[in-house]
Amino acid sequence: MMRLLALVLVFLVTGCVTVAKVDKGQQIVQGRLVVELEGPWNQFASVGQAQIPTWTIDGFSVDRLQFFVGVTDGAVLAPAQPGAKDQRPLVFRAQMQPHEIVALYETYLTRDGSAFKLDRLEPIQFLGGQGFRFAYLLTRRMDGVQLSGVGYGAVRGGELFGIVYQAPRLGFFPRYSKQIETMALSARLN
Amino acid sequence: MHGITRRGFLRWGCMHCALVAGAANAQQMQGLGDWAVPPRFAAPDPASDEGGLWATMAREEQRLRRSPFMIRDNELREYLQGIACKLGADHCPDIRVYAVRAAMFNASMAPNGMMQVWSGLLLRMENEAQLAAVLGHEIGHFLQRHSLERLRDARVRSAFGVFMAAFGLVGAVAQLGALAGQFAYSREQEREADRIGLELMSAAGYDTREASKVWANLLAEAAARPGSDSSSNSVLFATHPASPERRDMLAKLARPGGETREQAYQAQLRRLYPELLDDEVRRGQYDESMMLLDRLIDRQGRRSELLYFRGEVRRLRAQDDDLDRALVDLRAATDAEGGLPQAHRGLGLLYRARNDLPNARAAFVRYLELAPQAGDAGIIKTYLDEMKS
Repeated sequence: MMRLLALVLVFLVTGCVTVAKVDKGQQIVQGRLVVELEGPWNQFASVGQAQIPTWTIDGFSVDRLQFFVGVTDGAVLAPAQPGAKDQRPLVFRAQMQPHEIVALYETYLTRDGSAFKLDRLEPIQFLGGQGFRFAYLLTRRMDGVQLSGVGYGAVRGGELFGIVYQAPRLGFFPRYSKQIETMALSARLN
Repeated sequence: MHGITRRGFLRWGCMHCALVAGAANAQQMQGLGDWAVPPRFAAPDPASDEGGLWATMAREEQRLRRSPFMIRDNELREYLQGIACKLGADHCPDIRVYAVRAAMFNASMAPNGMMQVWSGLLLRMENEAQLAAVLGHEIGHFLQRHSLERLRDARVRSAFGVFMAAFGLVGAVAQLGALAGQFAYSREQEREADRIGLELMSAAGYDTREASKVWANLLAEAAARPGSDSSSNSVLFATHPASPERRDMLAKLARPGGETREQAYQAQLRRLYPELLDDEVRRGQYDESMMLLDRLIDRQGRRSELLYFRGEVRRLRAQDDDLDRALVDLRAATDAEGGLPQAHRGLGLLYRARNDLPNARAAFVRYLELAPQAGDAGIIKTYLDEMKS
């Protein structure tokens, strides 16, 4: 009950959430990132995070796939939390190295007090060139659930492109991680 | 506490404090009138509304004990419990202190005696007397049953579920800023708890002048944020907004004498610093973190781990002359004995960003020597390969 209330609270504070189906097959995210989907997804379009397309298979509180498409130098990666107007915005800089981009995302994930542990950061071919892959563990503040996450990123022409998936470490993440890897590694720019 | 059992230590602490508290009751502080520590509270009738609240809190406490955010460090737990017992005297058996991993400044106490102290608060205390000021304040709320009133009020307003979602267990930190004001103690309750906290500090032999310094430090940290002159809207201090009035009132009521026990406090905190500072840097609130790290370095000297974290904050903030100054800190951190391997990585990243490849290479090589199994070894090796070509 308490967890449900907490989730309701999050929805109330962050604004309305609408859901749309994303069909399997080829999809173009924000007109620039082409991905091949093995199955259907559900897309969230929340008022507060409209610039970060967020998809899920099993529900918002379970798993989520986020796309960062063409984030330009000086752009805010994620908006400030409600009720924390003084919070420093998370700003992407084109000269950031992978460590710094991951640190930025880490701050984004832990602003609710969740605990983050970077497991791996390694080079990878992504979007037809050099990129990076990172894997992490996140202990969610709200309910203590342990989540595994994997992210793929690259900076192309000064713009950041990234795909990040996270889901509960037990059950959900192992179930979908293979298709996420396949999708991410076959992604290309339009 | 080598050679002494936890129970024995607590019994000693409680006996010791009961004596001191008894003596101190004779010399009460200005503003509390004829207030005296009340006798221990009996467990409420389970059928009463208070009994229901206690049962809810007992369930929360069970969840807290299982929570991955609870800091499972027996030595720290005994240390914190010992301080609470010194302050709480006869109430010692009813108070249970839990250290919780959360980078915010927060402590709270439930009406059933469950006290939470967040790691962001521990990081910001300079000595045991300052921590005692905060714990004494929370025990003050407990002794005056303010938290019971607050919970009852939330229930009357049908907001109990929201209250528990935000403040129960370890709290939904993100929502604290938005909700703290709705569920705050009244100003009068806060003043009362502050005065009782000072009284308990004095009775336990602490230097009461340290209490106002807690809030002075927080005000300085809040003021470091651009465009802000108050801590009232910061998530960091959401449930404990610092104000100049509060700082000044505590300074006015303080008396000379008593101990700060800085060494004892630092002996407990030092081993936790890497994790606590990691969490602090991760908050991404670099201006506040810089103020905190400057203060820690002023107080504790140029220790390599403090220099590393300040260098990292500067490297990540990257404003004005931050990168030049980050270089100075990270060089010093890597020169010192027993420095963290990550300091070499930070230095390498900084040199690489400046296209100083020979120095970047040397720093990365040293990092991999010190941390060959590091999770980011793969990408560091790629950097090294790039530098060869």
